[in-house]
Parts: sequence; C-alpha cells; structure tokens
Amino acid sequence: MRNIWDDFQAALFLFYKYVTRGNKGTVVLTVLVATLAFIQINLISGILSGAVGLIYDQTKNNYVGNIVIQPGKDQWGNKETYITQVDLLKRKINAIPGIIGCSSRYTTGSVIEYDPDKTGKDIRTISWPVKSINPDDEKRISELHNYMLAGQYLDESDRDQIILGREVSGGYGASLEVQSLKGVNIGDEVTVFYHNGVTRQYTVKGIYATVFPLADMTVFVTQKEMESVLGLRDRASEIIIRTDEAYPEAYYIQELRRAGVELQDIRPWQDFIGLVLGIVQSFDIIKKIILFIGLIVAGVTIFIVIFIAVTSRRKQIGIMKAIGMKEGIIVTSYIMLALFYAVTGIVVGIAVIEFVATPYFIAHPFNFPMGKVSLLIVRSEFVTSIVSMIVVSIIAGFIPSWRVSRENIIKAIWG
Amino acid sequence: MIKVTDLKKTYYGKVPVHALKGVSFQIPSGQFVAIMGPSGSGKSTLLHQLALLDNPTSGQILLDGVDTAGLTQGKAADFRLRHLGYVFQEYALISELNAIENAFLPLMLLGMKRKEFIRVSTELMSKVGLSNRLHHLISELSGGEQQRVAIARALVNRSKILFADEPCANLDTENKGIVLRLLRKLCDDLGQTILMVTHEPEQREFADRVLWLRDGMLVKDESIDKAVREDALHNGYRTDVSSDPDYLKDN
Repeated sequence: MRNIWDDFQAALFLFYKYVTRGNKGTVVLTVLVATLAFIQINLISGILSGAVGLIYDQTKNNYVGNIVIQPGKDQWGNKETYITQVDLLKRKINAIPGIIGCSSRYTTGSVIEYDPDKTGKDIRTISWPVKSINPDDEKRISELHNYMLAGQYLDESDRDQIILGREVSGGYGASLEVQSLKGVNIGDEVTVFYHNGVTRQYTVKGIYATVFPLADMTVFVTQKEMESVLGLRDRASEIIIRTDEAYPEAYYIQELRRAGVELQDIRPWQDFIGLVLGIVQSFDIIKKIILFIGLIVAGVTIFIVIFIAVTSRRKQIGIMKAIGMKEGIIVTSYIMLALFYAVTGIVVGIAVIEFVATPYFIAHPFNFPMGKVSLLIVRSEFVTSIVSMIVVSIIAGFIPSWRVSRENIIKAIWG
Repeated sequence: MIKVTDLKKTYYGKVPVHALKGVSFQIPSGQFVAIMGPSGSGKSTLLHQLALLDNPTSGQILLDGVDTAGLTQGKAADFRLRHLGYVFQEYALISELNAIENAFLPLMLLGMKRKEFIRVSTELMSKVGLSNRLHHLISELSGGEQQRVAIARALVNRSKILFADEPCANLDTENKGIVLRLLRKLCDDLGQTILMVTHEPEQREFADRVLWLRDGMLVKDESIDKAVREDALHNGYRTDVSSDPDYLKDN
C-alpha cells in the first residue's frame, strides 16, 4: 500500500495547483475575509485589553500598589485597628529582593468642611476618610506626585497642608459631583473633623488627578500630621508595597511571610478592584463574543468557499477517485486549501496589527474615562485567536470535502 | 484475463431497475473488445462494475485472477490505481493541472520519484502525439487532445486493462479516427487489453470482438474479421491522411 508521505505529497501537489491555477479573485477575497476577521478579533480584544490593562496599572500605580498589608486579628479573632512596629516591618519588607519600596498609611474617618466665602452661608461638607502618607516613601510606590493638576505635592514636614483628589475637590473637571466639596481651589482652607474629635484646619496645597476615580477620591495629609491627630507612633492602617513584578504577587506574599510578616493580613492588588471588576469581567465577555463572531465569520466564509469549490469539482473528485486516489488525499488537499486561506489571513492580519494598527493606536490612543487606552495585545489571547482560526479552518475545509469525497464515484461523475 | 460470471446489477429506487441481468463472458489478455447495444442496454453499467467504480448486486468478476468482490473500498482504489485505466466519455481531466500533470498523477499517487514519473509520462505523452502540448492547460487543448491526455493517464501506470466509455462521443470525425487508431495501436503494439463502450457501429470495426448487450443481457458475442480491422485502421474515420499525428503514420 502507498505510504502516508506519498499521500501527503499528492495532497500538497493538488493544493498547490488549486491555489496557483484556481480563481485568483476567490483566493484574494477569501484571504481578505480571513484577514479582516483576524484583525477584528485582535483589534477589539486589544483595545478592551488595553482598557483593562489601564485599570490594572492605575490600581497598582495610584491606588494600592502590588501588595497591601493590613492589620491582622487579635487573640479574640477581631481585626486590629492598626499594624504595630511599622518601622521594623518596613525594614524587613525593603530587605526582600524584588521589592521596590513600601509606604505606610493611616486611614481615618472624617468630615471635611469647606466654606468658600467664610460667611457660613454656603458651607459644603462631605464625610470622607483621610489618609496619611510619608511623601518620600510614597514616591517609591505610587505615581501620585506626577499627577498634580494644581499646586504641589506634600513635603514630609508639612503639617497644616492637605492635598485632595480632583473628585473630592469638585473642580478641575471633576465628574462625580455627588461626594465633593464642589469647587475647592489651591490655597483655600478646609476644616477636617476627625472621628476621634480632633479638628484641624488645612490649606489646600495641591489637587491631583490620575483620572482613575478610585484614586481621585482620596484626601492626604502627612504622616507626621496624622500621628499628631491620632496620638500614635510607629503604627499604620496599611502598608503599600511595590514589587518589580518579576514574579506574581503570590510569590512576594510568600516571601513576606518568610521574612516575618506573619500576623498581618497580606493581600494582592487584585483584591481591591471590586468596583472595576464588573467592567473587567464585562470586557472579558465582550472579547469572547468578538472572538466567537470573528471565528464564525472566518469559518463560514472558508466553509462556503470550500463547499463551492468541492461542489463545483464533484465530477473532478469522482474522476480522482476513479483513477485510484484515496478519499484522504482529496480531503487533505482541501484542508490544506482552507488552512492556506486562514494562515495567509492570519499572517496578513499580524502584519497589519504589528505595522499599522499598533503604531497608529500608540500615536492616537483612545480617551477613556480612566485614561488613555492604547492597543494591548495579550499573548495568550493572540495565540488563542490564531489556534482557533486554524482549528475552525480545518473544520471548514474538512466537512464539505469529506462529504463530497465520500460520494459514490458514479454519482459524483454523472450527478 | 477478465472473467465475468452471472453479473447482476440492480438500482434500487422507487422502482428497481435491473441494469444487468446475469452477464457472463471471458476476455483474454491483449484483446480489444467493443461493448455495444442500444441506450439503456447496460453497457456503461457493465463497464463501471468491471472497472470497480461500482459494486455489482451479485455475480463474480475476476480481473487477472483477482476476485474483486473481496476488495474493500481502499483496496479497490489501490487496485484501480495499479492495474486499471479508465477513459471517460467526456474529457475527464483535472482543470487545474496541465497536460503532463494530468498524465503523471497516477504515478505520483503510486509514490514514484518525480524525475521518474516525469520521464515516463513524457514518453507516453509523446506516444499519444502530445509531446508539444505537455505544459498546456486543459482548457488550451482540443477535445481530441484532451481525450488523448486521458488515454495517456489511463495507461501511465502500465494498466493491465484499459476501460473506455464512449471515448469518441464528443469528438469530431478526425479526432475519432485518431483516438480509435491509437487504441488499436496500443492493443497491437503493447498487448493492451481494452474494453470500449460505443454505440457507433463503425467504431466496432477497430475491435477484435464485440459484446452486444440488450436489456441487461449479453445477446451476441461477435468476432471482427482481421481484414475489417485492417481496413478500419487505415481508412476508418479518416478525413485526411496528412492530418494524422506522426506516431500513427507508420501504420
């Protein structure tokens, strides 16, 4: 019996002739549809991935870093209010390879009051937590200092100064009017009534906007000021950690535990995106729908092309069988043809995405409410789309050619 | 050697059609046999069964001693490829392939080396008078040329038996003569066994023997006189002697 390699060569020969001597217009149009389907899948997925990536970056850069350490539980199982021995903990944390930096924060509830004309007639009040930061430490773990819309970032020695997120200030293009002071400017004074009964007056030193709503709804004073308000020292409500991201967060959490951060609650940044998780999940569903539709379009197109090709060559297929060609050779030649359409479409699509779409979207990113979104091609999704297109094309090539090649020879030749 | 015993073929539809009703005959190797009969007599059906293109309802076909009833679909395909050649009524060629590619396709399927199958098929194409048309696409060939390509393809595997189903049906007089003389020459020179279905009485004169079918039964087994054959070979369907290809002129 003939061997598989001979059969493969024969199928390859037929496939080559179908392409080189077949209708060029059909080849070009089919490849074009496969290309468009591939681009559509990856372009829209890439934009959505870019938006998700932006959310992730904003969360890490301006909100909670990579890892957050929070107070652990006391002997009765109740959550502690503060982390203790913070200086010692920070030294341990900073000694771990791959940790870029850490910063401790206090967070306490407050009521913030703004009286723009100081007459008491138009007092604007919001109930909002105030956070404290050590400005020098904070610069190592967040990008906040680079997003000052107006005024300046805090200095370590600042005591009567406060910086506000744009959404709290209610000015400078803030979009969430409900919980804001409705138009605080640099140099204005605000009064903060802390929950422990302490009242302080601050001058607004700066207003920042990361365009990430979660980050822009925060109020900061210096650590020294907050320790003075709370009457505490060497404690923190949370410690924010940035890593070099060489390994997943789980690795660094393990390293933190090994380094002696045992009693505290250590959580990765993903635990803090609850508000935007719905968006991310919706984007994932949209991406799957886009992939599905794209594959259907490409698959059906290739199926139709192969179906028409084999139907119009029914007699020819009958003749091939009559001279002794095995059905497998005929089917393989059409699967090769379908694969050719898909793979050429993929290659052209990759070229368009790589050399046209990506440079264009880098130069002209979309303005999303959370920042500028560019194309982010996720390798796993990209590979999935390629593999899916190939699998779909194999199916689209197999089914019609298999059906026709199984026909009785006489019926195929004479109808 | 072909041995057919009580061959029956029934097509089962709303009304069963008994296309062959128990045909038996023997054909020794190297004989050129014409199968004749009116439309619906079962000529093509008989050829399809003999060429393993279809399965008979009952009866036995022995091709060179091989009982074809025992062949699976795959083995039947392999048997066709190695031992049989088939020339269809219409120019049954593959349009995406050129003349020589159509001719060498069976050799490629047999796993022959490229150099070798090109040499063999080029020689054969030369024998059928198409050495100057090797790389022409099928659409660029005349009907007669296409049919000669089909004959070359049917012979390229050194088939023991060549089946031809009305090979001249769509040809003009000149090309009919060329194709029939070619078949006769193959039989005389190479000892090729040929079974040809035809409905034109004039064509039977090229054969050694005629099997007459009527209503699915063999009704007459006629031998053709050598003198008639010789006359047909030299004068049959000839419009102009000079129009014959060179390879036929030595006859």
